[in-house]
Amino acid sequence: MVELEGPPAEAAPAPVRSDAPVAIEVRDLGVQYSLRFTKKTTLNRSFINLFRREPADAFWALRDVTFRVVHGESLAVIGPNGAGKSTLLQVLAGIITPSEGVVDVDGRISSLLTLGAGFDQDLSGRDNIRLAGAFMGLDAATMRRITPTIVEFADIGPFIDAPIKTYSSGMRARLGFAIATAVDPDILLLDEVLATGDETFRAKSKQRVLELVRSAKGVVLVTHDMNWVTEFCNRAILLEKGRIIAEGDPIEVVAIHREHSERSKAERQAALDRAMQEGGVSSLPPDAARSGVGR
Amino acid sequence: MDLTAEAPTHFRSTGDRPGIVGLLREAVVEVLSRRRLIRYLVQADLQKKGTDTLLGNLWWVIDPLLQMLIYWILVSVIFQRGGPDYPLFLFSAILPWKWFASSISDGITSVSSAERLVRQIQFPKLVLPVAAVVAGIANFAFGLIPLFALMLLFYRDRIEVTLLLIPVVAAVQLVFNMGMTVLLSALNVFYRDIGNLARHVLRLWFYLSPALFTLEQLTHATREFPIIQKLLLLNPWATLFAAYHAVIYEGVLPDWVALIQVLIGAIVFLAFTTIVFKRLEPTFAKVL
Repeated sequence: MVELEGPPAEAAPAPVRSDAPVAIEVRDLGVQYSLRFTKKTTLNRSFINLFRREPADAFWALRDVTFRVVHGESLAVIGPNGAGKSTLLQVLAGIITPSEGVVDVDGRISSLLTLGAGFDQDLSGRDNIRLAGAFMGLDAATMRRITPTIVEFADIGPFIDAPIKTYSSGMRARLGFAIATAVDPDILLLDEVLATGDETFRAKSKQRVLELVRSAKGVVLVTHDMNWVTEFCNRAILLEKGRIIAEGDPIEVVAIHREHSERSKAERQAALDRAMQEGGVSSLPPDAARSGVGR
Repeated sequence: MDLTAEAPTHFRSTGDRPGIVGLLREAVVEVLSRRRLIRYLVQADLQKKGTDTLLGNLWWVIDPLLQMLIYWILVSVIFQRGGPDYPLFLFSAILPWKWFASSISDGITSVSSAERLVRQIQFPKLVLPVAAVVAGIANFAFGLIPLFALMLLFYRDRIEVTLLLIPVVAAVQLVFNMGMTVLLSALNVFYRDIGNLARHVLRLWFYLSPALFTLEQLTHATREFPIIQKLLLLNPWATLFAAYHAVIYEGVLPDWVALIQVLIGAIVFLAFTTIVFKRLEPTFAKVL
């Protein structure tokens, strides 16, 4: 019964009627990052910046993004690295506020962005479950109800009462997954979390993700696995440089994405060849310069 | 699915931010509705502080005593200064100051060290510095143990009912602690060297406050520096130290008018820093 690799063969979900209730509505969304402040800014650095007066220190991670997800829909967001996919999920989860535009989300959200986020190494697994639940805003009664389920699903035995720092990385990942998926949300946000732990747990976790996908009213999935897109999503969006390039039937959008990435790969190769011929490797493709920004 | 959650199930997210009053109301609602989270964070904090050193929580008792000893050697033994029962005078200032300083140094990194949580879960970030400040109360509470031991052993004749007013003075200080920590924790997200800077500023602040000396002595000593004298008038710690000295060392009532002025000032300051925090909050997830 344990099915291992590849998504189970199922018919792709049919397109949904457009008059279904709206779960997510995004209008003219724009998210701007200031490059003035980054993780490693110090007073020293910012005094230097003050003297330099760098003008171009703002960058739009998302711009003019408009779409909606109705009940019964599962939307795939695909695109190259740094296109703004993860930023989009963060906005939908309410973690990042838009710089412009409006995002309306109706329903309880769970983002599997939260896998083991901020486990406190010195606390026991059980204390971490309690803390994570409180961070996610689950009330005490719900937590009492789901804690046994989490402990059972994570399957880490007596270690549940030992500090997280004594856990193996597999145990940590299992506990993180169990917490993140303990509650069935109305709206599920997924960011490539489908491979976790060992083979057995991977199968079990995939099973659980599928369950959540089926029971959620709306799903937004960011992934590089095109099989998932065509198999489980009834609509897809292609993001490039923060803008929606294509939207519609997953198979068609995936085809456009493939074409684009082939082309840009060819362009990059050509640029590299040119650089090699000119005898220097200094002119890297433009994407490389931004790689630190798109998280 | 019925989830009577503490987080809203519907939200609208836009670039518009509420006005000053709206931000303050939001902050109050956030802190009140996330009391349980704050409690867990405080418990976790205390639990950890007690376990990672050999003597554990005993340090909260030993620390102020050692510090008192150092200042006593410095002032009484080397400089031949200090008044009668000077160790008690010192201790009644060191205790609240240690609370203030540790509240700030613990709280400064409360947001920036929760970086993964901030990036991955939507929750009111205000709970982080608030929890740090609340956990800091334990530092003060434990420090009362050596204080009372000291009084029972050596200064029995100084024990007065005014000791019961310690919590009142401490409550005023708590508001001020909170204001400072909320502000610095937000700024530290953008400038990681706020912590280094704060250490030195705090030290200078301590020496420029009537902690080791009375206000009169300090004013007299700094008579050639009018700037320091003016700062002394604005310094809330001038009033706070005087109040602690009054209720612990002198056994008299504190200067109520001055204390209420500091309380009002601290409340206004806390409101201001909360607004600053709330204004900066949306950018935390982007910067961290």
